Amino acid sequence: MYIHKIYCISPQQDPLQADIECINEPVDKKLLAVEPSYEHIPPGVLRRMGKSIRMGVGTALPLLDKINPVDGIIIGSANAGLDECVKFLIQIVDYDEGQLTPGNFVQSTGNVIAGQLGLISKNKGYNITHMHQGLAFENAVIDAIMQLNTNPAHSYLLGGVDEISPFHYNIETLNGAYKKEDISNKEIYQSNTPGCLPGEGAAMFVVSADKDAAIAKIKAIQTIHTDDVELVKQQLQLFLEKNNQDSDEIDLFISGENGDTRTLPFYEACETLLNTDTTVLRFKHLCGEYATASAIGLWYACQILQTQEIPPHLFKKNQQKKRTGIF
Amino acid sequence: METAELKQQLKKQIIEFLNLISVKPEDIKDDEPLFGEGLGLDSIDSIELIVLLGREYGIEIKDPKEGRKVLTDINTMVAYIEEHRTK
Repeated sequence: MYIHKIYCISPQQDPLQADIECINEPVDKKLLAVEPSYEHIPPGVLRRMGKSIRMGVGTALPLLDKINPVDGIIIGSANAGLDECVKFLIQIVDYDEGQLTPGNFVQSTGNVIAGQLGLISKNKGYNITHMHQGLAFENAVIDAIMQLNTNPAHSYLLGGVDEISPFHYNIETLNGAYKKEDISNKEIYQSNTPGCLPGEGAAMFVVSADKDAAIAKIKAIQTIHTDDVELVKQQLQLFLEKNNQDSDEIDLFISGENGDTRTLPFYEACETLLNTDTTVLRFKHLCGEYATASAIGLWYACQILQTQEIPPHLFKKNQQKKRTGIF
Repeated sequence: METAELKQQLKKQIIEFLNLISVKPEDIKDDEPLFGEGLGLDSIDSIELIVLLGREYGIEIKDPKEGRKVLTDINTMVAYIEEHRTK
């Protein structure tokens, strides 16, 4: 599967800000997305949208070409319209199932982002949303690959979107997901406490099986759900072998490390499989942690391939060498 | 409450209920149509406005024809509120 167009909304004005002194820091312990003016969304539609819907639609519309429309829309979102759903449920309680407004209700479903995109762009093709929590975007990628295997002449809009909604933030805080102390994202990797910084954002891609003028190729994808560090390491080794990828051929490894001492061993175990010449990058100090942050990780990979420039603050291990660009 | 004061309050409530981000109360003219031209509201907004009348003024509108007349502009809404409000 080849990636042809990319766009994102992130907590940074410039998503790949070169100077660490210029990056936006958390507000009230949250890395909140910097939203654009959404010129592509009709004002009457925009005012009814919740944040994740605005971000998803606002990221996708600049990529949708009226002359060469995509054949389908595939979105990954762990929560999608959950915040609107909660607002509607609160109305039901507050007004004793009486006078309820439809605005929150019509935006409260999981498929609201893909649905709105289908309506606004008049796209009547394949339209689906994957909501498998932390694997939502990965499942969307797998779906896009499967669709392209079946329909090699098609192209798809593929994306991942999630917001920090008050409800989700409270639940995850109670679950111990986030740092209790105030910490700057500039120092997140030096932290020795559990928890991460919550973030939000959206990243969208136009993908097809056509390699002409592509930005990048997704050669293979595999997901695993386990708390066993050794199993993760074994699976990554098998993944590399299965896809005929010698670890010393990999120029760059983009890690999802997020400053949480509980998950650090998983990322470190993966790094032990890499050749000593492989450069290691981290990006979650820019976007924070959220279920579909891997989508913006993919955006960073594409952007780095396009520009061949890496801001210094992304390096965990800098072994830059001019090779083929296998991430 | 004086009519002028009620008009101002209603405009603020409409902006808040319908999330009219870029609209200020002074942008809404008293005799300007709320739907189609003017403020450019649509059918979902009409339900939101009927809920607004219920929650804020205790007014229940059951007849759609009556609703269309009431929701013509700020003047018609305020006249109806002054006549039928229960809170």
